Amino acid sequence: MTTWGRLLAGPIMAALAGLAVTVAAEGSARADPDECATPPEMTDADAKLPHLAERLNAHQPVSIVAIGGASTIGEAAGSPNLSYPHRLGQDLTQDFPDSPITVTNKGKPRQSAKQMFERFATDVFAQNPVLVVWEVGITDAVRGTDVDDFAATLQNGLEELKNRAIDTVFVDMQFSRSSATVINFEGYLKALHRVGDLADAYVFPRFEVMRYWSEQNVFNFDDVAAQDRSQLAARVYDCLGRKLAEIIRRAVP
Amino acid sequence: MTSISAQTPPVPSRDLRLDFFRGLALVCIFIDHIPENYLNYFTISSIGFFDAAEVFIFISGFTASLVYGRTLAVRGPLIATVQVLRRAWQLYVAHIFLFVIFIAEVSYTVKTFNNPMYNEEMGVGDFLEHPHIAVIQAMLLQFQPTFLDILPLYIVMLLIFPVVLACLRRHPLVALIPSALIYLEVQIFNVDMPAYPAGSVWTFNPLAWQFLFVLGAVLGQAETRSNGRARLVEIAYWPALAVAGLALAIRLSWTFHGIWEAVPALFQRQLWPINKGNLSPIRLVSFFAIVMLAARWVSPRARFMRTAVARPLVLCGRHSLEIFCLSILLSVLGHFLMSEINTGFSMQLVINVVGISVMCLTAGLLDWYRAVQRMPVTTARAINEGSGGEG
Repeated sequence: MTTWGRLLAGPIMAALAGLAVTVAAEGSARADPDECATPPEMTDADAKLPHLAERLNAHQPVSIVAIGGASTIGEAAGSPNLSYPHRLGQDLTQDFPDSPITVTNKGKPRQSAKQMFERFATDVFAQNPVLVVWEVGITDAVRGTDVDDFAATLQNGLEELKNRAIDTVFVDMQFSRSSATVINFEGYLKALHRVGDLADAYVFPRFEVMRYWSEQNVFNFDDVAAQDRSQLAARVYDCLGRKLAEIIRRAVP
Repeated sequence: MTSISAQTPPVPSRDLRLDFFRGLALVCIFIDHIPENYLNYFTISSIGFFDAAEVFIFISGFTASLVYGRTLAVRGPLIATVQVLRRAWQLYVAHIFLFVIFIAEVSYTVKTFNNPMYNEEMGVGDFLEHPHIAVIQAMLLQFQPTFLDILPLYIVMLLIFPVVLACLRRHPLVALIPSALIYLEVQIFNVDMPAYPAGSVWTFNPLAWQFLFVLGAVLGQAETRSNGRARLVEIAYWPALAVAGLALAIRLSWTFHGIWEAVPALFQRQLWPINKGNLSPIRLVSFFAIVMLAARWVSPRARFMRTAVARPLVLCGRHSLEIFCLSILLSVLGHFLMSEINTGFSMQLVINVVGISVMCLTAGLLDWYRAVQRMPVTTARAINEGSGGEG
């Protein structure tokens, strides 16, 4: 091997190795569609998203804002590009190629419903969205916010979004066995679903879906080495993004 | 054990309803504290817009004014005050005990915790991040995680109770009017009691709930004094029946709507959410309708409260503090078992049955012990020997 060859070989090999790692990371960050499977009745309720549907059918650009907590930014996977809102955007772009779709991620860890609601003006309305994905409830349950206050905040937020002709999809809490042992999510889940029920807004049952995966041992964090957990989290987010996309797709005739 | 407690003659002046309904409330608190428990459908909260918390606080106010009112009349304000404060201290110790259960539960779970999807969000459990501050805040009653919320309220109620008693002694209205004004202020201006961590508030706003406690105290006094209470029950009967009936119908429609969507949830859009922390007037009115009906339909010494079925509840209510703490411990354990093993119906049934039995048996044991303690030494010894020298 010439000197040049030797000099070049190092960087090229490194670059190739880097590429391989990236591809591998990207590959394993995507979930196998089979993994995502849940009983159909779990997500068979129909969302009503008239404003979004109108835009998509008219091939107009669509702005979506995802507001929520750590799981909305994709904290556990390590990058917003591995978060469920990002996956949702990718899937919708594939399904509706005629409308440019942007998903803005406004997740912020440890925020109560009230704190999110207070961010609406700057983080949500400024993006001029036609759909808001509002992931909410974990912090309120962990902090033990008054359930009725929680519900009232959701109602106020929903009302404001409605007044601005913005469709809303709620995403309820994450399930994990160990946290469900310490935190009583039930009241908050019930309140969130009741708010959705009363106002005809769709609530994505993330808690139920993730509980199903946990019970079926699809995504099991217990027997996984610490460094592989973020990849597992990325696959969970991927599945959640896909399921949300599926539901939104169904709502657009 | 049972043979002895059966021989113990009941204290004649005791209004069994207080014990019975408080015992019922305690069992409901146990059931309601276990998430996803099917028995939730059958607790007090399913018949109106209130739950066991109202029953517990109201009866506590009622009994406090009965017991300490008597002390005040017989032994003067100083002794009465000391007695009330001593009781508050007992409650405080119980609160610290429950806090230790909370620490044990959280620390254990966190040690065995390895789900990255929740690490960030769980950090909000401030105890884990700043234990040194959280412990002090809990001791100051300012940190109120799950199930550490009703005792702080009760403690504050007792701390103000000597003043309430003094006012009651002049005239019920002297206590009732300021209390009602504070309650109204909370309803109109939404005044909260700040708690730890910053931004959170007391789960049971004492400024609002004091009204219920004082109302209980006023009625407790009226009982000892005159027949004013009987007149009130007479006048309020029909309105109470109408309100309770309406509340029951609406509340049932919500429950059925939750099970089967085709059933309409009556007035849910207008009524829900009904604020519990600030004791919404809807809760208060719905609760008092039931109180009036219970006062009318259940006589203080109704026979059913002496039956074998009702007796365990009466005993639970009589030893409410101990049984309350026990019920919290049991519901934590029950929740833990359900999430570790399974949430199936049979599992739930076992947890409910075992939990309630343990509560009742403990109450029986406490009652037996108290009866023995109160007996003259010779009688106690005789009974002990007669029953085969157990213990």
